[in-house]
Amino acid sequence: MLSALVVVLALVLCTWGLGMGADGWQAPWQAWVDPGQRAILLDIRAPRTLGAFLVGALLGLGGAVAQGLFRNPLAEPHLLGSASGAGLIMALAWSVGGAWGGGLLARLGLTVLAFVGAVGGVVLTLLLARGAAHTLRLLLAGVVVGVVLGALTQWLMLWSAEAWRAMQAFMLGNTALLGWDACALLGAMWLLTLPLALAMSRVLDALALGEDTTRSLGVPLGLARGVLVAVLAATTAAAVAQAGLVAFVGLVAPHLVRGWGAGRHRVRLWAASAMGGALMLVSDVLARSLLPPQELPVGVLTAVLGGVYLLVLLHRRPT
Amino acid sequence: MSAVMLQARGLSVARGTATVVRDVHLAARAGEWLAIVGPNGAGKSSLLRALAGLWPAASGDVRLCGERMSPGPSRGSLGLRARQLAWMGQGLASEEALSVDEVVALGRLPHQGWWGWPSRSANDRAAIEQALQDTDLLALRQRTLQALSGGERQRAHLARVLATQASVLLLDEPSAHLDAPHQRLLAQVLRTQAQRGCAVVSVVHELPLALAADRIAVMQSGTLLACGDAGEPAVHRAIETVFAQAVRIVLVEGRWTALPCY
Amino acid sequence: MLVSAVFAAQAGPITVVDDGGTTVALQASPQRIVSLLPSLTESVCALGGCARLVATDRWSNWPARVAALPKLGGLEDAHVERIVAMRPDLVLLAPASRLGGRLRSLGLPVAELDATELGQVRRVLEKVAALMGEPQAAGAQWQRMQAELRAAREAVPERARGTAVYVEVSSAPYAASESSYIGELLAQLGAGNVVPAALGPFPKLNPEFVVRARPALIVVSADDRQSLTQRPGWAALTAVRQGRICALPPADMDVLSRPGPRVGQAAMVLARCLREHAVPVAEAPAAPAR
Repeated sequence: MLSALVVVLALVLCTWGLGMGADGWQAPWQAWVDPGQRAILLDIRAPRTLGAFLVGALLGLGGAVAQGLFRNPLAEPHLLGSASGAGLIMALAWSVGGAWGGGLLARLGLTVLAFVGAVGGVVLTLLLARGAAHTLRLLLAGVVVGVVLGALTQWLMLWSAEAWRAMQAFMLGNTALLGWDACALLGAMWLLTLPLALAMSRVLDALALGEDTTRSLGVPLGLARGVLVAVLAATTAAAVAQAGLVAFVGLVAPHLVRGWGAGRHRVRLWAASAMGGALMLVSDVLARSLLPPQELPVGVLTAVLGGVYLLVLLHRRPT
Repeated sequence: MSAVMLQARGLSVARGTATVVRDVHLAARAGEWLAIVGPNGAGKSSLLRALAGLWPAASGDVRLCGERMSPGPSRGSLGLRARQLAWMGQGLASEEALSVDEVVALGRLPHQGWWGWPSRSANDRAAIEQALQDTDLLALRQRTLQALSGGERQRAHLARVLATQASVLLLDEPSAHLDAPHQRLLAQVLRTQAQRGCAVVSVVHELPLALAADRIAVMQSGTLLACGDAGEPAVHRAIETVFAQAVRIVLVEGRWTALPCY
Repeated sequence: MLVSAVFAAQAGPITVVDDGGTTVALQASPQRIVSLLPSLTESVCALGGCARLVATDRWSNWPARVAALPKLGGLEDAHVERIVAMRPDLVLLAPASRLGGRLRSLGLPVAELDATELGQVRRVLEKVAALMGEPQAAGAQWQRMQAELRAAREAVPERARGTAVYVEVSSAPYAASESSYIGELLAQLGAGNVVPAALGPFPKLNPEFVVRARPALIVVSADDRQSLTQRPGWAALTAVRQGRICALPPADMDVLSRPGPRVGQAAMVLARCLREHAVPVAEAPAAPAR
């Protein structure tokens, strides 16, 4: 029953996304008939709709992993320095190398660099917090690192005209230019990190009972944490490299599915990923549909949508 | 004399600069329930953590079935140790959306391995059922931790420990939040486990419950004052001493109990 | 709109009403000018006052000698202390900057001048000239600028008139519409703009819009040229396939974004684009009906 609902919802969202163009909505089957429109549908709208979903799916997954790993409902890629690390490295890449072009190789290169930046950001956070033993210290360190790296990025943008120009759309997220090669990269990363995270779902469940209990259950905590941090960095890097800095999706998506009674990570990871994807897809379509032919920055919409939904949920829950 | 499962020799544990456990010699035997008692701050929880291998020994050692426990074991032995020794700590998570069933299932993690797609074998399911039955939680198995009372949560964590089917059980204050009927249930469960051949070590606050155990270890300020059978007068005097004579151990209707003196 | 209350003598006191409505009163012709807007820097230099500039903002870079002057920060975040330390007797900035009030309260003479549209350029030029104590210098410069504009217009061949142009200022993509300075220059040259004025001067567009608008000529900064052609679906654009892309170096992009004395030069940049990549009107679609 639930799966049928999900499928219907997916179809509705896809149709909505594929039909939303620069002049407003037009049924995709009507657009299919005209060859010019068909090209637009296949080359522009389809990949960006799918790409937006995949970006959100990666961010939602990263958020669920972060919240499970650090046992804190406020943990998310932005709060642990991974997103700001990726952003800084990309700003550096643009200021040093100029525009990178949009081809697959360039995107791959940027993704790898972003991964290095994301890992660097998390490592910096872990160093500052002297290990992940204390959650509060870790999150404080993450906030500091995020803010400092963000400030460095802004400073770099002032120094380098190339970085400034390239980062304009980046800072608030941009799904407008996602093509099939971006989708391939995002899809590959999702297919890599989701099974990896699922294989760690027992560990994430155990962590809910505390780190000592987890160790007493025979989990090599250092290694497990390393794997989870790598998953977090990989999902963040891929999403940031393709679509810029989209805050909030990683934070909100796991909370939105919490209400569905998905306590087990085996379900939670999937659900948060799907919810993140849906949130991002809806934000992308709304970004195109509110003021055509103009587009709002997608990060603004994810914040508004996610924030409002979260407020509604909080209002309804007794605790 | 049955086999020694867990043994501490000259064990000292330090937290920061303070020594919280000093030169403790202790042996937990198969088929025995050992209760550790003492006033607040005596180092009972620290001792239990060291026995579980969670905290390193500053000096002396802890041996599980003859094997020395080192703080940084290889992955293989970590899993082996987790199958042989189950530990339950104090102050456990209550905010979680995990259901009782899932919490108890986590007790099977040492047998399933920490990596891989989560699924339950027949053995796992049987162990979980048994644990839920022993702790009277079958009716509550689908409720989440958040929706339970303190006592019910405590029993869920206890069931988790039982599900591991380990041969050594280390429990820190398992009777916290439990009402009298459930304390009786706890005593029955621990005694049954001991009869099945486990070595049960529990830190207990309630003296009547401790006096129901087979042996008692009395701690004060990090050292072991006395250790012997639950009926031994020397042990009783030691208990009265560490609690500053605020209790008296008396025989009532054929069983030892603690009488408060205030 | 020549300012009326001006004392013409170079040596005497000067009074000018700036674009914020404030009356700026100077005792004598200013000798230490600080300019915090590139187009105002260029206006001062075009009017012969370059030697009187003591410091500028970070972005002012024309003419070359200005590059050597101390830089006092950006348009939003200029260093107030350093400005005061320069002991200027006139500070020029845009009304959008929030520094005006602050600097005035510190006792500095501040003139806020707003030039974001083609129609405002003449007025700003005349006010800067008046503030410098040389009101008549503006006239000569304006004549020169008009001549350059005419030359640019003539440099555009007949067949290029009506070409639908898409100008991209940033790769989000942000475009320059009809109501922007660049858009107005294109209109002066007889070219069309695919982005209508109703969207504001620099709207952030759905890239699909550009593909459907089928511009005949694309103007973009040289850095972004390669990534533009690789955007999903853009390879199908006629302008991309036939290479009708005008990739401008940063210096040219600067000229296009500063409404001021180099308006002729800006128009010439666009005229050159139109001439080099012109397409016979019969083939090119006109600016599309909305």
